[in-house]
Amino acid sequence: MKDIRILHLYPNEMNTYGDHGNVLTLRRRLEWHGYTPHVSYHHPGDKLPDKIDIVIGGGGQDSAQADVQNDILRIGAQLHKLAEAKVPMLMVCGTFQLFGHRFLTHDGQEVKGIGIFDAETIGGPVRMIGNVMVKSDFGTLFGFENHSGQTNLAPGQATFGKVIRGKGNSGSDKTEGARVHNVFGTYLHGPFLPNNPAFCDELIKIAAINRFGEFTPAQIDDSLADLARSNARRRHY
Amino acid sequence: MQKFLGTLLGKSIRLAVSFRPNGGHALPGLVVDRLFPGYLSAMLKQLPEGVIFITGTNGKTTTTKMVVKLLEGSGKRVLTNSTGSNMVRGAVSGLAKDASFFGKLDFDIAILEVDEASARPLSRKVKPRWVLALNVSRDQLDRFGEVDTIAQHLKFAMDQATEGVIANAGDLLLAKVATEMASKKDVQLDFFGTADKLQKFFPNDFDLAAVDHNSKLKTNHQQSLAVELEDFDGQEAKYLIGGKNYQARFKLSGQHNFLNGAAALALAKRLLPQSETSDLVAQLAKVPIAFGRGESYRFKSGATVELVLVKNPASFRQALASYADKKHQLVIAINDNIADGRDVSWLWDVDFSSLVGQTIKLTSGTRAADIALRLQYDGVKVANIEPDLNKVLSQISQQPGHKVVLATYTAMLKLYVSLNKRAEKI
Repeated sequence: MKDIRILHLYPNEMNTYGDHGNVLTLRRRLEWHGYTPHVSYHHPGDKLPDKIDIVIGGGGQDSAQADVQNDILRIGAQLHKLAEAKVPMLMVCGTFQLFGHRFLTHDGQEVKGIGIFDAETIGGPVRMIGNVMVKSDFGTLFGFENHSGQTNLAPGQATFGKVIRGKGNSGSDKTEGARVHNVFGTYLHGPFLPNNPAFCDELIKIAAINRFGEFTPAQIDDSLADLARSNARRRHY
Repeated sequence: MQKFLGTLLGKSIRLAVSFRPNGGHALPGLVVDRLFPGYLSAMLKQLPEGVIFITGTNGKTTTTKMVVKLLEGSGKRVLTNSTGSNMVRGAVSGLAKDASFFGKLDFDIAILEVDEASARPLSRKVKPRWVLALNVSRDQLDRFGEVDTIAQHLKFAMDQATEGVIANAGDLLLAKVATEMASKKDVQLDFFGTADKLQKFFPNDFDLAAVDHNSKLKTNHQQSLAVELEDFDGQEAKYLIGGKNYQARFKLSGQHNFLNGAAALALAKRLLPQSETSDLVAQLAKVPIAFGRGESYRFKSGATVELVLVKNPASFRQALASYADKKHQLVIAINDNIADGRDVSWLWDVDFSSLVGQTIKLTSGTRAADIALRLQYDGVKVANIEPDLNKVLSQISQQPGHKVVLATYTAMLKLYVSLNKRAEKI
């Protein structure tokens, strides 16, 4: 049995934009590649499990973000350790923001993050909403963004990709997301993983190599994802 | 004066745009509302029994239709925005159309279907007597904002109610804001809802999105209910009202309509205190189907088609509960026009596992590939992908048998227009 353990952060609070789809996609593709996925849910106050191979976090409403903030600060040191151990993680939207140093809300409140990314977010006056196309080391990425926070990366903080169409981190600097070790932050939902299966398999590959020392991919029929992606490429709105 | 001028202007523009083939229904409202911002309020103030708002994410159109039927059955003259244009401008356009040339409205009461985004601007203009709040769930987050924001819009409208609010006890977010409102104001608060054993058939937004149910937000209302849906079976629904049992055999299908019926009865009980409850329940059962809520058509080949609107995770789940049946051949049509919502990530908040083992005949619409991809991850097969909605009907009208088309709003409108040309309504 080749077990791979997924930890889903705050599934009840941070799930606004179909974020369960990322976990479902990981689960299915792990099965298709011959692994046995196990998903555990981390709720505020819970103890983290001992074995974690992949960590996933989603976007939430602003009110939910305040609810989970205390908890993420509590487990921040453990998440840093996992990041240094090269555990792959995907943090979307609200959890991406909490993985930076801080979030300054539109009305001047400071929400502290855990600082895995050298970045901070400022609540902006307008929401950035729409389809996004991004160029990355993992090929073209497609997704949908919906955020008012403008995230600024510190000099030297690696991005996830470059915005071809859409707004991205700040709406002005053409950067999208951030990367530290194998921790990826992004504003793209859609959800992100089913629309970008090559990147999903990259997370699986890293997790498999960390755990078993090797990864042999299976052939997966991604023709539907390819079709959805070629439509997304032609979608100018 | 503005009643007269506004009405005249509205009627003139309406006449002018009536020669255009597509719509323009909201244009008279836009112009009149700009020139006479007090028009709506002045007009509606004439109504002796005031204005009622019906709002919420799902079920507004059907519930409004039910309430209108119940009131008309008791002899009331009811003004309503039945064309589906439920925004401020739509309401103004409708008023200018329905009023006499001198701006007089020959109606007793207005029952308005108010969408979530209009609840705030409309209640600034017109204070409702009663607000009926059906539910809040995630719907077109790119348009309406977060679920919490929608709940705040509805609370704003509730705060303006002069007599009272009727809310769904099973919708915890809504019940919470309604209770907050009632604790500060001297207005009535009634609840409608379901018996505990039926809760699982009517998940609220939290139930839909949460992965497990250990949280404090878990559904379990404590309020006593003015109208309770006790049980249902097929077309038959049982209600508990004021300690007595009532039974109705509905023309409408779909279990969600039995809960809409409970909402309509709770409001009608308040608006028609003299009526016998048994008469109201009997009237309710006779309400016919509203646009896009299960209308059926027959082609010359004998094939029949039923149209069902799906617009968010809650309504999609309701549709699957009613139609995920191996006897039906299913077609799913998903568009991403502005009225549908540009963001289709909500499709991943719908659980399609009830369709496992079935083959979806066809997916269509601008997001035909995306819904097929979604189904792939729940292990549901799709026989064919045809993004062009114009070709859907030719494909499904050939072979006999009953087809159910689950469609988003603009996809449904397009199919509706061609069905009316090519098939007979049954």
